[in-house]
Amino acid sequence: MRSSKIFSVWHGLPLFILLFFISPILIILSSVFADYSENWSHIYEYVLADYILNSLILVSGVSILVMTIGSLTAWLVTNYQFFGKRFFEWGLILPLAIPPYILAYTFTGLFDSYGTMNEIARSVFNLKQNEMLFPNIRNIYGAIIVFSFTLYPYVYLICRTAFLNQSRSMFEVGRTLGLSQASIFLKLALPLVRPALIAGTMIVAMETLSDFGAVDHFAISTFTTGIFRTWYGMYDLTTAMQLASMLLIFITFCLIIERISRKNASYSTIGSNFKPTPVKRLSSLGSSVCFFVCFVPIFIGFILPVLEILNWSIRFNSSFVNEQFFSISLNTVLLSILSAILCTFIAMIINFSIRYKNSSVIKSINPLLNIGYAVPGLILAVGIVQLFVFLDNNILNTFEGYFLTGSLFGLIFAYIIKSYALANSTYEAGYQKISQTIDDSARILKSTGLNLLLRVHFPILKTSFFTSILLVTSEVVKELPATLILRPFNFETLAVSTYIYASEERMVEAAAPATAIILIGLIPIFFISQMIRASRLEKS
Amino acid sequence: MKNILEIKNLSHAYDQNTLTIKDFSFSLQKGEIVSILGPSGIGKTTLLRIVAGLEHVMDGEVKISDEVVSKKNFLLPPEKRNLGLVVEDRALFPHLNIEKNVMFGINHIHERESLAQEYLGLFKVAELSKKYPHEISAGQQQRVAFARAIITNPDILLLDEPFGALDKTLKAELHDEAKKIFKDKDLSVLLVTHDEEEAEYFSDRIIEFQEDKIIIR
Repeated sequence: MRSSKIFSVWHGLPLFILLFFISPILIILSSVFADYSENWSHIYEYVLADYILNSLILVSGVSILVMTIGSLTAWLVTNYQFFGKRFFEWGLILPLAIPPYILAYTFTGLFDSYGTMNEIARSVFNLKQNEMLFPNIRNIYGAIIVFSFTLYPYVYLICRTAFLNQSRSMFEVGRTLGLSQASIFLKLALPLVRPALIAGTMIVAMETLSDFGAVDHFAISTFTTGIFRTWYGMYDLTTAMQLASMLLIFITFCLIIERISRKNASYSTIGSNFKPTPVKRLSSLGSSVCFFVCFVPIFIGFILPVLEILNWSIRFNSSFVNEQFFSISLNTVLLSILSAILCTFIAMIINFSIRYKNSSVIKSINPLLNIGYAVPGLILAVGIVQLFVFLDNNILNTFEGYFLTGSLFGLIFAYIIKSYALANSTYEAGYQKISQTIDDSARILKSTGLNLLLRVHFPILKTSFFTSILLVTSEVVKELPATLILRPFNFETLAVSTYIYASEERMVEAAAPATAIILIGLIPIFFISQMIRASRLEKS
Repeated sequence: MKNILEIKNLSHAYDQNTLTIKDFSFSLQKGEIVSILGPSGIGKTTLLRIVAGLEHVMDGEVKISDEVVSKKNFLLPPEKRNLGLVVEDRALFPHLNIEKNVMFGINHIHERESLAQEYLGLFKVAELSKKYPHEISAGQQQRVAFARAIITNPDILLLDEPFGALDKTLKAELHDEAKKIFKDKDLSVLLVTHDEEEAEYFSDRIIEFQEDKIIIR
């Protein structure tokens, strides 16, 4: 029992926040019932099949690759001792610092006909100017590689945890039944982590479907590029929303599969007689193979793009950091920190309300608020524009012109919805560590509501507060599609600046903003590496 | 003597099928120490939480100082009951030093620092006032928790296995000191314990929870 009032501000606030969070999504879905224009017929007849086919090929290809890379590397670092293992445990998540669109830009710079790698190949192998060693990367197969090598860490992280939780006795029984090391992985370990594998792959699939920057750069017709073209090329917002609805329904389907797989995850959890699997030492050949398997994903997903960006930076010379770069960086950092603070406050209020009121209504609101992470930024942006136009025309019409539409409010709103899940998970983890007796004691000492939040919970959870701000800031800095659509006229962020330079093929000039994005993207890597270190200590 | 707590025909259940407490009546007098004794999971803490206002009642009523604080479909929140609570894990606020922990419930009082020192002195931990909970021992933490609970001059002091985490010597020492302070301050105390010896020594009366009945002796 926490509070006796049936309805209070701690019920009202979460409901009010929920209303704002789901409005843009409901607006998008409502377009299904609107009239279908001629543009829709055109899209249906000529390009919809391409959108669906390309999206499916992309998602399938990426899923197969990330499952292979993520599970294999996780299995190796969990079960074998080899050269560089300590580094690989956290090094394998480094590609998370690089958004897919930046990897796509660097790959173009590296593997285009006159890209760095082909130029090197020509000078090394004395090839002619029209001869190429590396094939063209700007196609759907190139996109599959780009997404796979930036997103596999999601599968790696989740599989590593699952492998760590597998008991030694199970594998010992497997060995006595005649299974080889390889068969143990394929027939026992892998099937047992299937729910984790599916959950990680679903996150990757949703990220792939949500992307705009990379597929746009590789000129692949997918749902997101289709939505963008329909809106900005045909100026038909309703049709763009109808396309967005189709994608949203598909993503909901993916989410349901992911939830079901998580429910089944119980069969891979630890029992009371859990014994960790011993780490096996390998021969020098085995050690080299493991080193190679773990090094390749980091090389392709992190080292290679960083080297290419360094190459651009050197070529860009002294103008690398100029006044415009500082102004854009300041825009980005201020906007990201402001959004992160607001998002963290919302997560704090919701989690406090859940704890304080212990009401099933508020508890059921939280998963709905989390759904924003799965909604592509582009779709969210379309919904927010529609919502703001409605509010400007009907409620805020006392202001001259538009007050919300085209302002920074939309951008901040989108960032908050997209990043809420991150802030929420940080707070949830923090609250799990506070004993309920602390709340009971505080209430007996007459500390309730806001007083309890400010005097007890906030100070105890200040680490969660600042961690959440850092994580959300680094996430917001990378966001591209929603920023492209919702930014006020002539307002640029690092992501937009990188996109503009890349789309104008001014790769060298994209170096400065891309470097800044990667550096900020390393912040969550630091936190995750700390968690990996902690889990390693627990295992030993 | 005046009844400070009156429980009449109290029933409580966490779900429809299992009654934790059935038709229980009891009264606690001013200045009396009563132990609630019984094995784990039998409902002792539930009774304490009902008195604290942390659990609803299914039937019956609870009165504190002649005011109905709990009955079916009514619950006066814990912060309005003027109680003190000490639990086994102490529940000291980790972000506040010892002095601020003790002053937490009396922030509105003008001379709170000197009052905090007085109560910390009563429990022989005044010299620890600037330390944080994690910097002192379990026994010292328990003394601080007692000081924090009684500084507000509560109508009833609720103790939920407060000596459970202490070793035998420390427990015996704190038993003597705490009992003396509670009697000197004329506090009404409800103590939950599974230790029969502790209940016998510490309290004036015992409520014993058994499998099928509750005995008051």
